[in-house]
Amino acid sequence: MNVFLTGGTGFLGRRVAKSLLERGAHVRCLVRPSSDVRSLQSFIGHDLWNGVELVTGDLTGVDACRRLIGHSDTVCHVAASLSGGTAVMFLNTVIPTRYLLAAASQAGVRRFVQISSLGVYEAANLLTGAQLDEQTPLDSHPELRDPYTYSKIVQEQVAWEYRAQTNLPLTIIRPGVIYGPGRGVLSNRVGLKLGPVLIKMGGSQTLPYTYVDNCAAAVSQACFAENVDGQAFNILDDGLPTGTQLLRKLRRAGQGVRALWVPRPMIGPLSSVYEWYSRWSQGQLPGVITRYRSDSMWKKLNYSNAKAKAQLGWRPHVTFDEAFDRSIAGGQA
Amino acid sequence: MNKPVPPPRLRMALIGCGQIADAHLQEAAKVDSVEVVAVCDMHMDLAKQAAARFRVPGIYDNLDRMLAEAKPDVVHITTPAHTHGPLTMKALAAGCHVYVEKPFTLDAIEAETVIAAAESAEKKLCIGHDQLFDPTWLDCRSRIAAGQIGHVRHIESTLGYPISGQFGAVVAGDPRHWVRQLPGGLFQNTISHPLYRILDLLPDLHPRVEARWDRTKYDFPTELWVQLRGAEITGSLTFSSSVYAQRVTRVYGDQGMLEVDFDAQTIRRHTAPKLPGAFGRLEMPFRQWREGARNLQRNLWRFLKCEIHYFSGMRNLMAEFYRSIQQDTEQPITNAEMLRVTRIMDEIFADCRSREERVEEFVPETRELEVVR
Ligand SMILES: NC(=O)c1ccc[n+]([C@@H]2O[C@H](COP(=O)([O-])OP(=O)(O)OC[C@H]3O[C@@H](n4cnc5c(N)ncnc54)[C@H](OP(=O)(O)O)[C@@H]3O)[C@@H](O)[C@H]2O)c1
Ligand SMILES: NC(=O)c1ccc[n+]([C@@H]2O[C@H](COP(=O)([O-])OP(=O)(O)OC[C@H]3O[C@@H](n4cnc5c(N)ncnc54)[C@H](O)[C@@H]3O)[C@@H](O)[C@H]2O)c1
Repeated sequence: MNVFLTGGTGFLGRRVAKSLLERGAHVRCLVRPSSDVRSLQSFIGHDLWNGVELVTGDLTGVDACRRLIGHSDTVCHVAASLSGGTAVMFLNTVIPTRYLLAAASQAGVRRFVQISSLGVYEAANLLTGAQLDEQTPLDSHPELRDPYTYSKIVQEQVAWEYRAQTNLPLTIIRPGVIYGPGRGVLSNRVGLKLGPVLIKMGGSQTLPYTYVDNCAAAVSQACFAENVDGQAFNILDDGLPTGTQLLRKLRRAGQGVRALWVPRPMIGPLSSVYEWYSRWSQGQLPGVITRYRSDSMWKKLNYSNAKAKAQLGWRPHVTFDEAFDRSIAGGQA
Repeated sequence: MNKPVPPPRLRMALIGCGQIADAHLQEAAKVDSVEVVAVCDMHMDLAKQAAARFRVPGIYDNLDRMLAEAKPDVVHITTPAHTHGPLTMKALAAGCHVYVEKPFTLDAIEAETVIAAAESAEKKLCIGHDQLFDPTWLDCRSRIAAGQIGHVRHIESTLGYPISGQFGAVVAGDPRHWVRQLPGGLFQNTISHPLYRILDLLPDLHPRVEARWDRTKYDFPTELWVQLRGAEITGSLTFSSSVYAQRVTRVYGDQGMLEVDFDAQTIRRHTAPKLPGAFGRLEMPFRQWREGARNLQRNLWRFLKCEIHYFSGMRNLMAEFYRSIQQDTEQPITNAEMLRVTRIMDEIFADCRSREERVEEFVPETRELEVVR
């Protein structure tokens, strides 16, 4: 199998590359002129590096993408922008995805695997304790979400539109929060960082996490598996902790954080007050917290990874305890 | 008694739904004379996201169609700098007034063409020199007018612009980014603000310009030093990517100095001590402390009144521009001023380039010297 991989220099992408190589695939890896290729090379290691073909370029047009794909039979699209305002994320995530989808369908690839996010669902309207799985609809008000999630929702919508129009064989992977060495284990799902203090939101909600190696295995499995055209898969590990459990574990590991606790019943009302003030003051404080966003982020939900296990045959081999230790040992970037 | 009827709101449309478009749409919502009717971007996805977040009814990926269907009175141009000239010409030809983001055009030749077109169409232009209308700068101007520092003699502007910041990272990460293609590179897209803050107080049409740029670890120049010499007033501009993010202008007069910090929204006044010797050493910190207390009091009051906004200057400028259209009065920033700033920017980049060429010629000699050492 010949895979054209985007985002291969990133946190998840380099592990996807390695996993694909270990399974015998040839990986044609996109690097941008500004990408850090040396660290990718040392990560992949000498033995596997022979299976890597680097192509330098940018996803700046359909023709450019077509040339980059070359004779690959599979596209694995991991690249995305993780920071910046909405416009920047759209310019760096949605627009390149459009070009790449068009080029892939011209190239007639056998599969297009796209990395989406677990955040794309309309969680705000689920009841507390409800099940969130692949049947849950995508958010119908993506513009109310944070810029990153907004761009990921539109990126996914664009991919589904392409499939409908061109029959491009498409498989979507929706990972939860990806953690691992260099990224640490804290995320917005636990709470918000305000300088040195963590504003801990609730605490009894299960954290929808996936360890980076587990997630990479799922992505590479999606490139190989049969009968997964038109399917989306949530990628989450087993035995996930709650926010409180994670902070306790961090404290025991000597990495306690100073936290200010917002009890669960207060999250909604406080978010509404902040949202009101932000609007009333015409943006003197930015509208980063809204009721809709906090309902999407900190609700207690039941997540399911059953579909990925059943149809992709994927298993999160690294247990949470092991993954936690490796992440702590790897430090934070 | 009947209330006076306000003039009808002007229909605003915007082209270029990138980073700065958010500020335009957000500030436009605060100006009573503006009604946002349409947004346009070459990428429909970009136009759609701006329209969805700011509830704009018209969504376009084609300027001609937007001009024909949305029939705006004013077009805001927030696209990359090299497109400002042609897009402004199109909007003028469709009978619109134009608010164009800085830098006005690619160079002074293009600026002259655009201004001539606006004058013959009898339409008004506005350039995004919004910090001139920032409350802190307006305050500084009135303190100068009140004689607090005597006659202005020298203005010094510093822009600290870490490349890792929101705008810089986008440019550094993409070698083909439009900013890098500009004749003045990164500086052409960034030095307008610190430069026009100097030129606001340095009135010469043709000050003498000396400028030099330099590189750090990036493959494009990231440091810039400019000296300006007018008949009575001088200016200096420092752009650095190696210092922390800051937007500061110091105005030196023959009686004192005012330091305007746009990020802190503070003004500090320095003068020579009035008391002799050691007493002066007590007087100065006391005055600085009092100055700090005044700034705190002022900002606290503004915070309570919800007046602290990053783009207050843009809102004020927009309000004045729209008022000048409604009342057919003089533009807040004259065409002559837009042309003067553009011409001085051209001279800055030309001087930098000529110095860089001269430095490159010296390279072999330097190597020889190293060998001898
Ligand atoms: N991290 C998470 O918690 C999480 C959760 C759910 C889903 N995801 C998704 O997982 C994917 C990978 O995330 P990550 O955490 O590994 O991100 P990352 O470490 O920031 O890596 C991003 C990768 O994308 C590339 N890239 C970014 N913009 C690009 C563009 N315009 N054109 C071409 N390449 C571009 C980067 O290339 P350079 O090396 O050249 O910069 C880099 O290789 C993304 O799709 C993300 O949305 C992440
Ligand atoms: N006043 C300020 O403080 C300030 C701050 C940042 C930028 N700016 C200025 O605003 C302008 C835009 O900068 P930015 O950072 O927002 O850029 P950007 O790259 O983020 O956005 C530009 C947008 O214009 C669109 N576009 C490009 N060419 C087009 C065309 N021909 N027709 C229609 N759409 C087109 C792009 O798709 C993109 O969405 C620049 O001149 C910049 O100097 C001003």
